[in-house]
Amino acid sequence: MSAGGAAAQGRVERHWVALAVYALVLLAAFALIGFDLTLGIAAGVLNVVFLAFFFRHLAFAVSAARWAEADLEAAGVGLESYAPPVAVLVACKNEELVVDGMVSALLGLDYPGDRLTIVVVDDASEDGTAARLDAWAASDPRLRVLHRAPGAGGGKSGALNDALAGVDAEIVVVFDADHEPARNVLRRLVRHFRDPFVGAVMGRCVVRNGADSSLAGTIFVDYLSGYLVNEYGRQALFELPAYGGANCAVRVSTLRALGGWNPDTVTEDTDLTLRVLLAGGRVRYDPTAVDFEEAVHSTRRFWKQRHRWALGHQKCLRDYWRPVLRSRHLGLVDKIETVMFLWVYHVPVLCGLGLGLTLLRAFGVGGQAVVGLLPLSALLFAGPFAELAVGLVVGRVERRAAWQLVAFLPAFGLSILTATHAYLDGMIGKRLSWAKTARSGSVGTAAEAAPQRPATFARRTAATRPAPKVAA
Amino acid sequence: MSAAVAEGRLVRRIRADRRRPGAIARRRTVLYEIVGAVTWCYGGFLLLVDPARHVEVRLVMLLLTLGGERRVAAPFDDTFLVFGPDGATMLAVLTPSCSALASLLAIGALAVFLLRRRPHALPGLGAAALWVVGANQARLIASLLAGVWYGDGALILFHDWVGALFNFVYTLIGLLILITITMHSAERAEQDRAGRHTANRPDAWARPGLGYRDDGLAAAARPGKYRLISFVHRFLVPAPISRRLGARRERNRVDYRLGHLGPQARANQIAALAAKGLGVHTATLLAVATHETDPVVLDALAAAVAARQWEPVTRPQVTALRLWARAWLMRAPEGSTGDRADGHTVAVTGAGGPAGVAVIRALRAAGHRVLALDASPDAVGLRLASAGEVLPRADEPGYGARLVEIVTTHRPDALVCTVAEEYAALEPLTGTLAGLGCRTWLPDPAASAACLDKVAFAAALHAAGVPHPQTTADPARAAELPGPWIVKPAHGRGSRDVVAVDTAAALAEAMGRVPGAIAQTRLAGREFTADVLVGRDGAMLTCVPRWRDETKAGISVRGTTFDSTAVTSVVAATVRAVGLTGPANVQGFVADAAPLSVNPDAAVTVTVVEVNPRFSGGLPLTLAAGADVVGTYLAGILDPAADLPRLSFDAGVRMARHFSEVYVGADGGAVADPLRLAGTA
Repeated sequence: MSAGGAAAQGRVERHWVALAVYALVLLAAFALIGFDLTLGIAAGVLNVVFLAFFFRHLAFAVSAARWAEADLEAAGVGLESYAPPVAVLVACKNEELVVDGMVSALLGLDYPGDRLTIVVVDDASEDGTAARLDAWAASDPRLRVLHRAPGAGGGKSGALNDALAGVDAEIVVVFDADHEPARNVLRRLVRHFRDPFVGAVMGRCVVRNGADSSLAGTIFVDYLSGYLVNEYGRQALFELPAYGGANCAVRVSTLRALGGWNPDTVTEDTDLTLRVLLAGGRVRYDPTAVDFEEAVHSTRRFWKQRHRWALGHQKCLRDYWRPVLRSRHLGLVDKIETVMFLWVYHVPVLCGLGLGLTLLRAFGVGGQAVVGLLPLSALLFAGPFAELAVGLVVGRVERRAAWQLVAFLPAFGLSILTATHAYLDGMIGKRLSWAKTARSGSVGTAAEAAPQRPATFARRTAATRPAPKVAA
Repeated sequence: MSAAVAEGRLVRRIRADRRRPGAIARRRTVLYEIVGAVTWCYGGFLLLVDPARHVEVRLVMLLLTLGGERRVAAPFDDTFLVFGPDGATMLAVLTPSCSALASLLAIGALAVFLLRRRPHALPGLGAAALWVVGANQARLIASLLAGVWYGDGALILFHDWVGALFNFVYTLIGLLILITITMHSAERAEQDRAGRHTANRPDAWARPGLGYRDDGLAAAARPGKYRLISFVHRFLVPAPISRRLGARRERNRVDYRLGHLGPQARANQIAALAAKGLGVHTATLLAVATHETDPVVLDALAAAVAARQWEPVTRPQVTALRLWARAWLMRAPEGSTGDRADGHTVAVTGAGGPAGVAVIRALRAAGHRVLALDASPDAVGLRLASAGEVLPRADEPGYGARLVEIVTTHRPDALVCTVAEEYAALEPLTGTLAGLGCRTWLPDPAASAACLDKVAFAAALHAAGVPHPQTTADPARAAELPGPWIVKPAHGRGSRDVVAVDTAAALAEAMGRVPGAIAQTRLAGREFTADVLVGRDGAMLTCVPRWRDETKAGISVRGTTFDSTAVTSVVAATVRAVGLTGPANVQGFVADAAPLSVNPDAAVTVTVVEVNPRFSGGLPLTLAAGADVVGTYLAGILDPAADLPRLSFDAGVRMARHFSEVYVGADGGAVADPLRLAGTA
């Protein structure tokens, strides 16, 4: 996921009442049944939650271990015969390091030229992004560049909505500026729209700069597990994969009926997933529709990115859990899975709470939980490690990568902190803002891809002829 | 109608069914696995915890005894008697949580229920189990020794706190050992630990998205010279079992063995494997016969099998291989004598035109077998090629069926179209032709249509800002264009019906006479044609401009290649504007050409008149100047993913054309050329 703009003008939500109710319930429990018993019951409830999520992880790992590899090898059916009009939309803000590689990859996409429109939105960039995009647009008529005025608002959602207003296509496919899609990605994404119930299709994102730092290498492994196991499992077992914000396609009629992307959230992707499901549509996931993106490689950037994801995802839970439970388009199992999916960024908060209770118990404070420490360790380690192991094997990564899993121990700790911080920000009403994810452009085709005036192809010798000029 | 409505409702109801039977079936399968895993862990713990504790106590005692430690005894199956530093005794019970069994069962569950598809999980589990049991023994012994040396407080502290942390760490390491051994080795993996693609296979062989292709990455690691598995198979495993396992391994590894190579290298490797004997790498060869799609590779395999018919059939798989090769060779006719052994069979359409003849001669000169196709049985190219067939015109019924019939008979590897008007008829046939092993590379239909329609072409160039003479198809507005004029058909070719007019009256007359006429301002200056090859990604691979010093019937008979940055730039903008890929020739005028003779970077005025999305009649001059556009185009047809080279050329090469003759007797046979020089072919 990427940010496409500056601070959004979203409304500020505060949940002081809910926090006060939680505190009052806790105090009442202390008063009525005692301190130790209250903490013991809380630990028992947490254990049940942890076990439920552990089995969810395990189920995804089992499904991926059984079927994912064969799915990667499965022959594509009808890739050439179905090519509805497609518009590719990209929102950019200050992306001059990566924009050349992205545009180059987009122009190289394998799709009929008369049915493809590429619209790149420059969201009031302050660096050389706009000039680079204009140079590309001048050299290739397939590319349209839309410049937004400073302060246009709405962040990435606003930029995409502006682009959507000017396109005439059946399907829009969204990428982020640091993404370089594989050539066949459009054909693989759009093939699923043959089914009129499909509202959105998600492709698989792969980290391309895992060698940049140990953190980037860890994120590379995390993405393998996230896309080849977790997302795959959601589709295989519940047919409820999530639309992910980049490398994904949406049916324009569905999107317009839903009012476009929601500018009041920082995770417009999860928001759209929920709205598609609640409208009776379906989201599909295609692990063979691949694009390559850049992972952050400093802890500070990682914190900002994950904090934004947690903040937006937690807001989606608050916004949609009631509509999900009331939806007539979702069965009981669907509702349980959807609510668990919405809970995933709350679970690290609960893990932090569980660890706190365990520490208190170690010092003799609090009652004995029903199940004990086992469920927490199962959720924190066994479940994710099962997913990570299957991701590495299905992804056919060389075996030295297994020892990178050690880096997930601090990463789990960091996820507890980011999710807890985001939870508190969300509850006390911190303004949601588009936190721009900084790029490095260290790996990719950006450097070679900048548009160039063609030199001649004649063999020249410096002594007799002027040197060919190659202008940027 | 009502049936269709009912069907629509049924489909909607099935799709709206919230139960989704497919997902239910998959969930059931996964549920069984999870129940199995829980049973494995929980049941295994209940059943085995006591025996495991007893074994661990005995093992600890054995190790302590071997180490000479006599201050620990085991009076019961699960209890140690520890003599402390001050002679005090303590009883230390090895509780279920002290046993390594829980860790072993968890790691075992991961191996059995998640990773069992990889046989490597079994040795991985063995190694992890050894590690976990050994580490827990070390933990227990260290706890007991702490009690022996420092008393019961130290024993409890070490066991409960240090030991608990130690337990977590060794379980994690055990898990990593299992995962490490189960994962793919460096030479079998498709990506390294940073996510860079290492297998370097062509798209057809690669699984999508396994690693980022980084051109700067070194080749994947190679296996060492001495390997344990070789020793095991050679000396420990019975030969029939080893052979069976080897065959299975080869089947699974065929992509590792060959997949990273290009088509020609794959073909060479298969020939090398077959040369060792069909019975040696039979599984690989059979897997290639089963999965390979490239005709070049399959031809090589069939030829290699055919060359070893003397070999005794020691295994039924060799028979299967021979049967396959027989069927393949019966499908594909042999190349004619005189063609290069490793050449391809290439079909060329438009064999009667100058472009077709030039392509045929270029392909024959490169050693390929050429199947010439033309609508006229008298087309000269039919006599210059290895074989020839008459094909209806593209706008006649039966074109497609006849072409498929010809391709089915001759099995060409590629088809080169030199008649732009055929593209529209060929486009729907590409899938069928590919199924017959005949590859094509056609320009985008919209691009070729824009080139063939001079009105649409003018609009495209105008939209892209490429210099182009003012054009109109409206007779009433023709006179408004600056004169003098050129009148020509909007869909004409080969300079047919092209009229140069100087007066308004002649213009009106010509607009009425020429079918589908357009009028353009006639350009002054020096006329040029640029032969262009554009890669599938839109990058221009070469642009060879030449002066049209003299033309006859629209064909350049004298020309000179020249070098110009301005012309190259405008030509590049032109092909980009219409979105062409493949071969093309761009025609235009340079208004003030004189400065180019001294400075190729001179800022001259260039105007493009038209583009033909095919090879030109003046192609031989481009080839003579050093730009092998035909060979490069053929390479791009045969391997769509090929990284085609940028072609350079020599400026100043001149061409003077003359007529040449081919003679055919009454019976259709060749008649000797009476003017041929002695000693020439």
